[in-house]
Amino acid sequence: MTATRHDTPHVEYPVHFEPPHGPTWKLFFAPGLVRGGWMAGAGFVFGTLLILVLRSWWSWEPVWNTEVVLAVAGMVTAPIGFLGGIGSFDYWLYYISGRPTRPEDHSGHGARSWRDYFRVNTDHKVIGIQYLVTTFFFFTVGGLMAMFFRAELAEPGLQFVDSQTFNGLVSVHATLMIFLFIIPAFAGLANFAVPLMLGAPDMAFPRLNALSFWLLPIAGIMFVASFLAPGGAFGAGWTGYAPLAEGQPLGQTFFNMGVQWAGASSILTALNFLVTIITMRAPGMTFWRMPLLVWANFTTSLLVVIATPFIAGSQFFVMFDRIMHTSFFTPENGGYVLGYQHIFWFYSHPAVYIMMLPGFGIVSEVISSMSRKPIFGYRLMALSLMGILVLGFSVWAHHMFVAGMADWLRVPMMITTLLIAIPTGIKVFSWVATLWRGRIHLTTPMLFALGFVTMFVIGGLSGIYLGSVPIDIAASDTYFIVAHIHYVLFGGSVFTIFAGVYYWFPKMTGRMYDERLGRWHFWLTFVSFNATFFPMHYVGLRGMPRRVFDYEEAFGDLNFFITIASFVLGASFILFVYNIVTSWVRGPIADSNPWRAHTLEWQVSSPPPIFNFDEIPQVVGGPYEYGVPGARHAIMSPAKETAEVHA
Amino acid sequence: MTAHAEALHEHHGPPEANQSSRVDARTLGMLLFIGSEIMLFGSFFAAYFFVRVVNPGAPDHWPPEPYHFPVFVAGVNTAILVTSSFTMHWALQSIKRGQRAGFLAGMVLTFLMGLAFLLTQVIEYLNVGFNTGDGAFASVFFGLTGLHGAHVAVGLSLLLMVTIRGFRGHFSPEHHHGVELPGIYWHFVDVMWIVVYATVYLL
Amino acid sequence: MRKGIVQLVAIGVVLGVLATLVAVLFQWLPTSASKEFDRIQDIYWFATVMSIAIFSLVGAVVVYSVWKWRVPLDDDRDGPPIHGHTGLEIAWTAVPAILVIALGIVSAVVMSQNGEAGNRPLEVKAIGQQFAWRFEYGDYGDFQTGELVLPVGREARFTMEALDVIHSFWVPNFGQKMDAVPGIETSILVTPTRTGEFAVVCTELCGLGHATMRAKARVVSQAEFDQWVAEKRA
Repeated sequence: MTATRHDTPHVEYPVHFEPPHGPTWKLFFAPGLVRGGWMAGAGFVFGTLLILVLRSWWSWEPVWNTEVVLAVAGMVTAPIGFLGGIGSFDYWLYYISGRPTRPEDHSGHGARSWRDYFRVNTDHKVIGIQYLVTTFFFFTVGGLMAMFFRAELAEPGLQFVDSQTFNGLVSVHATLMIFLFIIPAFAGLANFAVPLMLGAPDMAFPRLNALSFWLLPIAGIMFVASFLAPGGAFGAGWTGYAPLAEGQPLGQTFFNMGVQWAGASSILTALNFLVTIITMRAPGMTFWRMPLLVWANFTTSLLVVIATPFIAGSQFFVMFDRIMHTSFFTPENGGYVLGYQHIFWFYSHPAVYIMMLPGFGIVSEVISSMSRKPIFGYRLMALSLMGILVLGFSVWAHHMFVAGMADWLRVPMMITTLLIAIPTGIKVFSWVATLWRGRIHLTTPMLFALGFVTMFVIGGLSGIYLGSVPIDIAASDTYFIVAHIHYVLFGGSVFTIFAGVYYWFPKMTGRMYDERLGRWHFWLTFVSFNATFFPMHYVGLRGMPRRVFDYEEAFGDLNFFITIASFVLGASFILFVYNIVTSWVRGPIADSNPWRAHTLEWQVSSPPPIFNFDEIPQVVGGPYEYGVPGARHAIMSPAKETAEVHA
Repeated sequence: MTAHAEALHEHHGPPEANQSSRVDARTLGMLLFIGSEIMLFGSFFAAYFFVRVVNPGAPDHWPPEPYHFPVFVAGVNTAILVTSSFTMHWALQSIKRGQRAGFLAGMVLTFLMGLAFLLTQVIEYLNVGFNTGDGAFASVFFGLTGLHGAHVAVGLSLLLMVTIRGFRGHFSPEHHHGVELPGIYWHFVDVMWIVVYATVYLL
Repeated sequence: MRKGIVQLVAIGVVLGVLATLVAVLFQWLPTSASKEFDRIQDIYWFATVMSIAIFSLVGAVVVYSVWKWRVPLDDDRDGPPIHGHTGLEIAWTAVPAILVIALGIVSAVVMSQNGEAGNRPLEVKAIGQQFAWRFEYGDYGDFQTGELVLPVGREARFTMEALDVIHSFWVPNFGQKMDAVPGIETSILVTPTRTGEFAVVCTELCGLGHATMRAKARVVSQAEFDQWVAEKRA
């Protein structure tokens, strides 16, 4: 809804996003990356001066404190300058200063050339693709880091890097994969698909949507740039436990602040999704007619809005302890160390579902349309999402069974943790039942969806082991955990992201990917994934702790095998990139509905028209009525159809 | 309807989205945002709870000797902030009825009271007798009041924007969303202060 | 239809046998050297049986469906419009619920057994400091050792202390693990059941030397333990 604000009188205002012609100095002041660059610099200088003035005014010694300057000027004012420079705030600044806002001319909407992907764009479809390309970039970076430390782990002892670099690689790998890949890649897919599925012309707050995207690269650059900080990248793990994080070199600040930007991005996106889903559904689109992807993003967004502030809080406390000499987590000064873990996991456990529920949605779409059958038990599928949402908030302390927390918390947390297996089981069984007697099209997205179901079952079952406190006491903080999270997050989330990208690729680009390469990609990934991560269960239980560069000789052979397998896994990604890039450039033109799916996004052209629909469709039935004679999900041009009936 | 659709075609503008809920999108957005903010405060309250209640090393006296919190000054400040909520409400009601003078007076009063609150708090910080490094009690004290102070600052800039736009002649009985939303935020900031005050100073 | 069910069950059995072989042929758990770990291994096998059953069931249906109902990509017919089946849905809500609650009860029982100290356990203080473990035997004198020595068959209670950051005390063969956290006291119980040398490792990332923060645990007879204590006190 690119709604116009009616509070102000509208006056003609020059169109914003016309690429500036004429003298170069105009380029300098037009919203865009150039202005973003110098305004980031200006923001940095402003922040630095502000700190120097304040510190000398209050006569704090020393006046120059690198960490404070870095945190405030480098990671607050400079990014804000950048965002202002690229034009994220232009409209709002005009609005709040009471100056006349330009009428909505939609010049900031849609992509007419590749350049339009590099500016503030308010079209949810463009933003979705911006998200996906950015996140896959950081996926590559994070994956390369994994290759590095897997090489280091091929044999015991230190070979290639020093131990701070090793800890840094491990920490930045996890951080990038979580905050810059899985969470935002789902946000990207949903950004593209959800408004279309709802029959809405755009998200509820398109400008906010654009801003949420641009917050993301800022966070990503901070995480990666931490390697440049004196002392190396943050090396306290992605969990950044205090008090270890408080004694880390400067790089830790990059984590503390980067998380704030990534968190702000996901909160704003989630808020946007919620408002869009609640207020912008097409007529007839009741909650019980929404596709499961929409349901999944509805629950995920609720989780994000409620839980994410807690990680913001936890990182603020660590940063205050580091630069303001507070003592939230320093016991010698009255602080309480475990407080960090409670606050951190109160976000980071729901975050596991933030990283999984959208994948459930994608898989539901893919399995239903590729087996040509209605999703089995649609309502229970939606309700189990809500069940996971509610239970998800009551299990955080299962990450702390050996952390020394109060004993009485263990049993209740174990019970709620195990109970989560029930809604999750419902989902798995329902997908499997959807396959039953279907007409199964083994396309690449379907392969990934089926790969997901089987791998996720393994990840879920190892989760049951870990849910049981006594087993967890033996297995926590070992490679068994590493295996478990990769089965859940790689075999789970990443497989669904691949499924989603292949599934919506023809819709996004109007071209078809190469099916044969796609299958190769799947099988190579599937086999090397298992070869990489399954043995980790074993080395973990046998006694290899996680996050170590050195280990006992006995684990040498298996670790060497794992390293080789991980290289194959990394190489399999090249097939994906090659397939996507070449198909995007010169793949065969795709039909508007190659999968013959019923949901709304497939009823418009590929790629969809700039405002999605010429006319808001009228929804008349469920989204998965495959095989039901005469069933329709929606009437695409209700006005025309009414006219025909009357004629 | 048909004529409308044709008109849209010529404009190449977006079709008007269906309004599927009676709740206004912007109000809903603000409420959800406030929900998120409450959780942010929640994390700070959680830190407070851990430091003071769960922590086996928590001091018997709160705050530990010889420090004490300026309960009275903060109480006066509370009164100021609560009053500003009423003037905010007055301003909104006035613009809804089209009474410009009342609206502007209400906005100016609200803004000034918010500013007074913030300045009082800065002065309180300077004279409170302890600093961030003086122990975990000081960490949670500055944490919670500081987080709230930051919210007051954000609220004040929203109020300032409404006031400026008000003096420029914006807003009317029909269009006052730009007053209502900052108003909701301001009420949230006030209510949150009552909780912070009760927890940090009184308990 | 009957033939189909036979085939499905056959696939399930094959998968189940394969998974069982994987579970049995490799020795996944280190040899247990403590009473506590014996009990944990019992739950481990309980969970493993459950996991094999569930994995074979899901795997069998996926494999069978794909094998049986795969169609060429240009097939444009739809499958039967089955929307659900209430009985089935209740079943797959109830059965996993029963299974996980059973696991929960077993775990809670083991937990309380593993957490009950008998009278007068051997008190050992484990001190974690970047990047080494030290042990104190308060009842036997004020000496510190870098090597953990325990008498076989006697319950030992470890009390953890961390001097800088969080560490985590783990002996894989004892199956017990607990974080050492600055500012609070944590503890676990271990009752060694066999003599020998075992590894003590730190499992909580504690900084640069985390990987090398290992120590040796030696379980000896009571007589040898007494002798060792006497040597240390001398």
